Amino acid sequence: MNLIGDSLSPMDAEGASEILSRLRDVLRDSAVEEHDWDAVVGETPIESLGFDSLTILDVLYDVEEEFGIALDPKQVVKTRTVGEIIALLEQNGA
Amino acid sequence: MAEPRRVAVTGLGVACAIGTDVESFSASLFAGRGGIAELQSLDTSEMKVGIGGEVEPDFVPAGLKRLRRRPTDRAVDLGIVTAAQALEDAGLIDGAPPYEPQPVAVILGTAVGAAESNTTLQQRFAERGVRGLRPTSVPRVMDNAISGGISIHFRLTGANYVVISACTSATNAMGTAYRMVHHGYADTVLTGGADGFFDPFYYGVWNNLGVMSKNPDPARACRPFDAGRDGCVLGEGAGMLVFESWERARARGARIRGEVVGYGESSDASHITSPSAEGQAVAMRAALTSAGVGPSDLGAVNAHGTATLANDVCESESIRAVLGDAAEQAPVSANKSYFGHTLGASGAIESIAALLGIEQGRLPANLNLENPDPECRVRLVGGDAEALERPFLMKNSFGFGGSNGVLVLGPGE
Repeated sequence: MNLIGDSLSPMDAEGASEILSRLRDVLRDSAVEEHDWDAVVGETPIESLGFDSLTILDVLYDVEEEFGIALDPKQVVKTRTVGEIIALLEQNGA
Repeated sequence: MAEPRRVAVTGLGVACAIGTDVESFSASLFAGRGGIAELQSLDTSEMKVGIGGEVEPDFVPAGLKRLRRRPTDRAVDLGIVTAAQALEDAGLIDGAPPYEPQPVAVILGTAVGAAESNTTLQQRFAERGVRGLRPTSVPRVMDNAISGGISIHFRLTGANYVVISACTSATNAMGTAYRMVHHGYADTVLTGGADGFFDPFYYGVWNNLGVMSKNPDPARACRPFDAGRDGCVLGEGAGMLVFESWERARARGARIRGEVVGYGESSDASHITSPSAEGQAVAMRAALTSAGVGPSDLGAVNAHGTATLANDVCESESIRAVLGDAAEQAPVSANKSYFGHTLGASGAIESIAALLGIEQGRLPANLNLENPDPECRVRLVGGDAEALERPFLMKNSFGFGGSNGVLVLGPGE
């Protein structure tokens, strides 16, 4: 199964899978609510993991630490799914 | 103005070095089993003292998992898990979330608040400057993270705030909660206190204050009212209690585990750390007056009893001044000998010990009281548990800053 959409090549999907795995760790470490983190996929709504417009900024902060890249907060707060964050990361060279 | 209402205690929750629920806490207390040991969660190799009362390590992770929460901060997490115990004991929640909103206030004490989060943040700031401060730093480190976190998690829609008055925090919070229910401002309040500070910064500042026992034997280090005492021992923990109007508790068929009969408070207005017997006596007299209870009605005093040289002599003086000859029939318990000084949680944890004593008609032994200090002229519970002869018990708490808080507790149904 493609994790974030149907448009990725197999190589892209492999990269996305690794990003997803690292992103799951970041999300888990920033979260207040406990979830089945292995079940988090590209389609998972960020809101369903308990994040809101404030706490998603913590995710942004941890993402920058984990991946060593800076994201635009305005773009991050617009993301609605885990896959949209992955796409942002990929656009920024993750 | 509406007629004042009786205040019932309908729920208890506790975690400290001698137990992680009311049953295990009670069993240790009345079996004379202390919990002071070498600290496992903190490297104290560069400190003068390395002992304390730690909560059993699996308790918080297991409790959070049951409540479907991730760890946030030690004090907040201890508060959340013990709050669940108290709310379940009171029959206000049943198991894990989701919960329905209910009009319960959350009024808690804490001395150092979100200490773990603060220390982490300070380390990051020292290493990386302002870039080390994550966006959610403010809600993580604010002192009311404990009451706010509990209110949000359990959907408790009454007022939520913390009372901060060093080691009197929980007793001042419980006094506030008592008054809210007594005077009709709230029907139900979750109250008590939480503190978790076994981190290099907060344990370090206490280490350097010079009031902690340097006794090399952890089990014998905390010796309230003993002539050989040489200071306090710190402990982490949380105590949570549900206060509600007696009528409401009876109407819903709740088990009434005790009664808060009165409360008094005062300030020494003299010194930031040295206690004042006069100031303490003002709070004790106010509590007894509020309760309508005379010294001869008291079966015991649950002391602040920190085992510092200054506190125990001063507290003995104030107890003697207030109770007079009746002090001979109100033996003094000092529970910190079991689990250490839990600072802003101490009044709550020790009030739970007092209520269990009233419930069971007995007083726990004072650990390490081998040679009572002749300067402490009060009757002390000895090395064995003894019977509680009269139903009312006075609970003292005193804090740096000169804050004094005293509760009078009585039996339930």
